[in-house]
Order: sequence, then C-alpha cells, then structure tokens
Amino acid sequence: MDFSAALPVADVVAFNRPAIDWHAASPELILLGFGALLTLVDVIFLDRAKQYTAALAGIGLLVTMVPILTLANDMSETGPRVMFDGAYVIDEFSLIMKAIFILSGYVVILLSTNYIAEGDYWESEYYGLMLSAILGMVVMASSRDLISIFVAFELLSIPSYMLATWKKRSLESNEAGLKYYLMGVFASAIMLYGMSLLFGASGETILTKVNASLSSDPLTGESLSSSTPVLTLAVIFVIVGFAFKVSAAPFHNWAPDTYSGAPIPVTAFLAVASKIAGFVALVQLVFVGFYARADVFQPLMWILAAASMIIGNLIALRQTDIVRLMAYSGVAQAGFILAPLAVAGDVGDQALASIVSYLAIYAAMNLGAFAVILAAARKTGSTSIESMNGLFSYAPGLAVAMTIFMFALAGIPPLGGWFAKFQIFFAVVEQGGTWAIILGVLLAVNSVIALYYYASVARRIWADQAPDGDLTPIRIPPSLGAALVLTVVATLVFGFLPGAVSQFTDVGLIAGG
Amino acid sequence: MVEIIVFAVCAAIVLVGAVGVIAARNPVHSALFLIQTLFGMAVLFISLEAHFLAAVQVVVYAGAIVILFLFVIMLLGVDQAEDLNIEPIVGQRFIAFIVGAATFVLMVATLAGSSDAITGQRQATGPLGDELTDNNNVRELAEALFTDYVFAFEATAILLTIAVVGAVVLAKRTSGEMLPVPQNTLEIREADYQARVDARAAELEANAAAAAEAGEDGSAEASSAAASDDDTADDEMADAEGGDA
Repeated sequence: MDFSAALPVADVVAFNRPAIDWHAASPELILLGFGALLTLVDVIFLDRAKQYTAALAGIGLLVTMVPILTLANDMSETGPRVMFDGAYVIDEFSLIMKAIFILSGYVVILLSTNYIAEGDYWESEYYGLMLSAILGMVVMASSRDLISIFVAFELLSIPSYMLATWKKRSLESNEAGLKYYLMGVFASAIMLYGMSLLFGASGETILTKVNASLSSDPLTGESLSSSTPVLTLAVIFVIVGFAFKVSAAPFHNWAPDTYSGAPIPVTAFLAVASKIAGFVALVQLVFVGFYARADVFQPLMWILAAASMIIGNLIALRQTDIVRLMAYSGVAQAGFILAPLAVAGDVGDQALASIVSYLAIYAAMNLGAFAVILAAARKTGSTSIESMNGLFSYAPGLAVAMTIFMFALAGIPPLGGWFAKFQIFFAVVEQGGTWAIILGVLLAVNSVIALYYYASVARRIWADQAPDGDLTPIRIPPSLGAALVLTVVATLVFGFLPGAVSQFTDVGLIAGG
Repeated sequence: MVEIIVFAVCAAIVLVGAVGVIAARNPVHSALFLIQTLFGMAVLFISLEAHFLAAVQVVVYAGAIVILFLFVIMLLGVDQAEDLNIEPIVGQRFIAFIVGAATFVLMVATLAGSSDAITGQRQATGPLGDELTDNNNVRELAEALFTDYVFAFEATAILLTIAVVGAVVLAKRTSGEMLPVPQNTLEIREADYQARVDARAAELEANAAAAAEAGEDGSAEASSAAASDDDTADDEMADAEGGDA
C-alpha cells in the first residue's frame, strides 16, 4: 500500500489556469461586489446605513448596465464570447436578457424603497438578497451547460423563497414562503433527476454536446429518428422542473397563494423577473440542448401552453383579489410565451424572436400593473378588486396608468402587448400544421377571455364609485412615481414603435459555444 | 503487513460501531456509534486509495448526515431509552430481523459461492486515475472544479453564503404579535376553489372541441362524437355547480 499519494506531493504539476474573459464576466462581478458591499455596510454601520441601502442597490444595478452596454457594443466585432469550453456564453440573446433582468430588478427596487422602509422589514438584507437573486438570473442568461443552469437556478430561487416570507409577522407571508419553498425544492429535485439522466446517457454537461448525443447514437454515430425512452423521460423531467418556475399549468398551484401572501414588491419580482428567468432557461434548453428532440418537447410544450392559457384565464375570471387575478393572468401569459416553443423545431428563429420580444414587453406592463396596485394599496390598504373602484375620481394619473397596463396585457393596439401577442400568434400559425393551427385558435380565444377580466378592472376604475365616497388623493413617493413613469413610457414605446423592440430582440439562434 | 494491520483495526472499529448502533439503549449513543462506523469505513477507503471517497465519507456522512440524525432525535425529544420500547409499526422489529438475516445469508453465499462473480475480479490492482501523470482522483476532481467548472463552483459558494444570511434573518425572533389573517382571505380561497372546478369543466369542453377540430375529414361521425363529448362536459359542469349549491 502506498500512503505517499495521500500526502502533499513534492513535484508540482503545472496548473492550467482557465482563460477568463474579465470583460465578459464583469456584470456578474459588479453585482456580486454590490451585494457584498450592502451586507458589509449593514454589519458596520447598522441602523445608520438604512436610509442608503435602497439607493446603493439601485446604483449597483445601474453600474452593472455599463459593462453590458460595452459588451453589446463590442459584439459586432468580436462575436459571441465563449468561456469554460462552452459552459458560459455571452451572445446577443444573453445580453438582452441580462438587460431585461437588471432593468426590471431596478424597477422592483424603486417599488420596494418606501414599502420596505415604512413596513416592519429587515432592510439591508432585503436588498442584498434581491441583488443576489438578480445575480442568479444574470448568470442564467449565459449558462449553456447543465451544471451552470442548475446553480444559477438555485442562486435565483433561494433568495426568492426567503423574500416571499419577508413579512415575518404575517401568517400569510410565512405560508407564501413555505409553499413556494416546498414546491420549488420539489421542482428542483425533478429537474435534477432529469439532468442526471441526461448526463448518464450522454456523458456530457455542455448543452451543445448533449444535443449532439440526443440526435445520434453514441456508439454507432447513426442519427436517431426517435428518442430512447430514458432520454424522453430526462427531457420531460427537466422541462417540468422549469414549468414550476414559470407557473405553467398544471404546475401553477403555488403561484396565487405565494403572490398574495408575499410583500407586493416581491410579488412583482416573482411574477416578472423570476418567471422570465425560468423562460430563459427553457429557451436555452430547447434551442441549444434539446433542439434535436423536437418530437419530445413540442407535444409537451403544446400541452403546457394550452393548459396554462385555458386554466389561467378561466380561473382569473372569478377572482376577487387583484393580486390573485394577476397571478392567474400570469399563468395564462406563461401559456402564451410557451406557445412558440411548441413549434420551435420548425420555425426556430421566428419563435425565439417572438419569445424575446414578449418577455421584454411583459416585464414592462406587468411591473407597471404591480406599481399601480402598490400605489393604490398605500391608501386603501387592501388588494381586493373592489378597492380599485372609482380610482379615477381621486387618482386620475394612476387610473390612466392602470388602464394602459390592463389593455396592454390584454393585447389591445396600439399598446405594447398587441405587438407581443401578434408576433407569438404569427410564429405559431407560420408553422401551418394542424396542431399549430389549433394552438393558434386557442391563443385567439384566450385573448378574448383575458380581455374580459382586464377590461372589467378598467371599468371599476372609471365607472364605479369610490368606496365610502373617500376622495382623499394618494400621495405617491418619488421612487414609486419614477417606476410608474418608466413602465408607462416603456409600454407605450413598445406599442407605438414595435421596431424599437424588434430591432433588439431579432436575435439569431442562440450561440451554443 | 501494514495493510493487514490497518484492515484488522478498521474492521474492528467498524464492527464495534455497527453493533453499537443497534445495541445502544440511548438513540444519541446510537448516532455516535454510527459516526465511529463511518470513520472506520473512511480509513478503509484510504487504504484502497480512494482518497476522495474517504473525504466525502467523513465530510458528508459523518459530518452532515449524522448531525441531521442528531437534530431530529433531539428536536423530537426521543433521546430517552424507554422510547425505544414503542413499536410504531406492528411487527417491524421482526421484519427488520428477517431482512437483515436474509441479506447476511445472501452476502455470505455470494462470497463463498464464487468470489469473482460480482466484478469478475478478485481485487482491483493499480491506482485509480491516470497512471502516466501520476494523477490521483482527488487531483482530477480538483482540476475539473477549478478549470472547467470554476464558474459554477464560485457561484455555489455565493449561494451558500446567501442561504446562511437568509437563514439568520428568518430565524431571528421578531418582536410583537403575529398579524391577524385578513377576514376576506377565506372567502377568496373558497371562490378560488369554485373557479378551479369551473375551469376544469370548461377545459374538458375545450379539449373536446379541439379534438373535434383535429378530425381530418370533419365527417358526421366525428362531429356527433364531439357533440356527445360536449354533453358530458356540460353534465360535469352542471354537477360541479349542483355540488356547490
């Protein structure tokens, strides 16, 4: 027996330092630096630092935008930047998604500023966790291998679980966090099981290599016309894991309770940023990892999309609480975004472009709707739909903004949502098969159903009387006002100038590395 | 010679620990005996030159999992000897004895029958890993972690730090009473449940409609089938509403 191998070895073997492109990694590093700084500032200055933490978090996000812009500027010269043998890729798609994550994170911080400061919350940890969740999303946008995707998924999920239960003295918030945590862990376990099957079958973690082994027999090199059962199971498990994250039916049960129990800014964060992160992972997996297995993911996506639209919209019709209404409408919106994935194998570029522009527009209009709900709840202290009655009579600005967001979500031209819905519809119908046409019909029918409940919120705002005839105006703090202006402008610009968004979202197929 | 002495000592430690786990009257002592067994196994792994496995054995099994056992034992307060006399499932001791004895007989039979049957080799020879560069598996793993997977590795470090920060905040005691649950919450949930029942019925109907549309030729047969499907969906919806009333 040779014990010397266990001891420190004298001859030093050269360590091949991995090539790290520091420019490409700088957005993540800056975010990490600000997250750590927030935690340290809290430890050193305690209560004296409280009033600066929100501003510091916001500045951190804006500074992070700088390297993203410079990277985008360099993209035409350098092309996609690939690190770690293809595990981490900076391409057009990842930069656009990173920008969406950071800007929606910034709006959420604007929403949180007064809400968290005035409530019974831990402040600096709140912003620290928020930044680390955004860090997870930013990492997710570049991850092109199974391990990075899983770590990014956990990095964005774990802070979200804790933020959902941040209203510590409210039983509802505790329930929201616990439910979200249990369902999230369950989803992670399923996804991890699928990933381990994928790794076991292909021996690879890099998505492009996984795709290669899914399309051809690893032993003989012949191309496979259909998938083996174990790979089918693996693909389904991984997709189902992310279906929980994007709250697609039938994996949406956690969403309404979590959304209504969590603090409202956190709800906005979960409904927008966290959901978009799930879609980013799905898009990367489908377009890079599983692209050869369209026979598996297309029917699965068809079912998820159809079920999400139908169930989400029909349940939303009966809601009496505006946050739960938004939760179910979010389920339905998830169905819309999943629809192009059901035809992604045939109309790749178009499906990808339509999803990316939907995500950008969805972020603007959904965050805006939550900003109005938050502002209205400052006066009414309630999130029931009735509390929106007669909003126009005492807060005309908010009423106009909410109307814009509701009609944008419903997809009425010329507001942002119509272009997004039109592109999705166009991509689906373009494929032309029987099932694609049925999905197109379902998209159209569901747009009409959704219009009913979005419009009924608008009707309450304009036509009904304010409860108790109380017409005292709502005082909107500057940060909340800034968030409202940003989201209204974005929703209008996306609607009137769809070229502005499609110019950025017209990305080619994702670089695999 | 050294090898045999190490094996004998470790085997004794492992066996004493294993017997201690089932013989100890106090559950906490059982957990401690389990740690002893796992440590003995770790030394055996080192003597087989599986260094990484040895480290994992100590860090994960002895370090983390047994500590979890202890947590559960102490949280549930079953650290008293008399609790062991309770048999939650009738006959579980007897069944456990049968299963244990059967496993033992099976292992002895396998070893005695043909000792090469399992792997086709009586023992593995040569080091694990790449002989040319004299690499062992610890170094291979370290290289993979700090080159190809360094990004995921560092991200995991951040993840663990965040989990600790969040756990401290959540575990910290708050002052003041819990806030009451708003009155309308229960009503909202009831309405929600009813809406789910309705949505399910409508979904069945929509699926039937989609299936009818999918019919290639649109013959009378297909449409009549769809019509009957619609009827069933309507019935279900009526049932759901009737149930509510």
